Amino acid sequence: MSNNLIKGSDEAEFAKPLYVPIKRRSFFMYAGATAGATALLLSGCDDDDSGGSNSNSVSLGSGDVGVLNYAYALEQLEAAFYAQVIATPYTGITTDERTALTAISKHEAIHRDFFKAAITAAAPTQIIPGLTPDFSKINFADRTQVLTAAKTFEDLGVGAYNGAGALIQSGTYLLLAGKIVSVEARHAAYIRDLLTPGSFSGSDVVNAAGLDQALPVATVLAAAQTYIKETINGDNVGK
Amino acid sequence: MDILKLLADLAETPTDLTQLASRRAALDGLRRVGAKTIAAALPLSLAALPSQAGDTRTVLDSLQLAVRLEQLQNAFYSRALTSAAGFFPADANFRSSIVKMQAHQQQHVALLTRIISSSNGDTPTLPNYDFTGSKNNTQASLFPNVFSNFDEFLRLAQLLEDTSVRAYKAIVEFLVQDNYTLQTALQLHSTEARHAARIRTMRRLRGAVVKPWPSPTDADITIAGRTAVVYATEHATTQLLPAPANTPIPFRLLPIGSGANLLTQSVPEAFDEPLAAAEVELIMGLFTY
Repeated sequence: MSNNLIKGSDEAEFAKPLYVPIKRRSFFMYAGATAGATALLLSGCDDDDSGGSNSNSVSLGSGDVGVLNYAYALEQLEAAFYAQVIATPYTGITTDERTALTAISKHEAIHRDFFKAAITAAAPTQIIPGLTPDFSKINFADRTQVLTAAKTFEDLGVGAYNGAGALIQSGTYLLLAGKIVSVEARHAAYIRDLLTPGSFSGSDVVNAAGLDQALPVATVLAAAQTYIKETINGDNVGK
Repeated sequence: MDILKLLADLAETPTDLTQLASRRAALDGLRRVGAKTIAAALPLSLAALPSQAGDTRTVLDSLQLAVRLEQLQNAFYSRALTSAAGFFPADANFRSSIVKMQAHQQQHVALLTRIISSSNGDTPTLPNYDFTGSKNNTQASLFPNVFSNFDEFLRLAQLLEDTSVRAYKAIVEFLVQDNYTLQTALQLHSTEARHAARIRTMRRLRGAVVKPWPSPTDADITIAGRTAVVYATEHATTQLLPAPANTPIPFRLLPIGSGANLLTQSVPEAFDEPLAAAEVELIMGLFTY
């Protein structure tokens, strides 16, 4: 009789395969298999929205929509940051710098609105709301602080897009993300050269193989969370 | 080919190069399989086919295009660094930036060569390069003083870096099937974009009318019928919503909607456009013989 009892640890072991997210291309294999396809398909679907009941919490969602919301969240942050920079320029800003930062602020706002339009068209009930930025740690009168924050946001954005590419299923969304990430990288290089001429692709972002960063979702959100009042949940992005 | 085994192998996505060896068998299949063949074999219809639907190139072809472009840029910067004294400006940051870019291109060649070799592919042999564009004095040169006039050198550098960004962008769309190679291509792509911005910044510091990002306001440095293709379709003023909508995004109506030059300048600047392999070949062909 005791043989039929499932101990707690065994049950966890039994349950494990159901909770392991199936990678995208494994999903194709399982979806194509005729035997047990339904069970495996269901185990691959993780619709569990763990956004929680906290009204201050925002869940990015899952699959491609999750990735789009992820990008939308980051572009919202950047757009809000640069809007503040232009509204209250740092002391000593030159005409050239103001012109360039104004252009960057427009690019970010365009990116933000681009994602808003794309998500609204693709999944109108799943689009995240407008987020509330928190830039209290940044002294917008100080050039070094402002440009350092800009550098941080731009490098973070590049790393986020590079890390999210493999999570995207649709080639169309992948191309759209690709059209944006290179502009963010140009922003990053320009800002870095304002701070320290020649630092456009420093070894803190481009490694010994000549590769720019590709950051996991969790890493990016942990860094971005400092500047966003809402708690962002990205657990299911791309899954 | 056992498509299911191929997919199972590809599902193992290593995150570093030391795992390349285990992917040899999987990638070997890619050598013979094009996007269309994969699509036909898979039970699901893929929305993920590259936009150039008639393209029958393989993933390997895309990587070989990338490495040839990297080889070209590596040779270009290497030659510049052996130029006579006085070629580089007094401000040491200019030369050190080119040193950094050359190092990256060399690393990119090494990386792409390893990836190609691990799939039993052939790494392209180096062609002859003539960066004046004269194809070894068989035709009129485009950049006669490319390694004696720093501004002329920077103009060609900008064209090549912007081409590289656009080429990788098109390649990335082609790699949607392969997580590892896709991520690597994205990382190469954004590094080239940093280079391109730095070249443009250096030009601007020396008085050129140019932004860090391709802009309709940039003074044209291309030659019609020769290098003009570098920026063909780059300054698109509309962006489409994905299928099934396929309609232009109404930027004018969105929160960003106000402001002068929004559609004619800001929107084109905010997106870089891909460049298909055929056009990339045209540009590379100007400087090889």
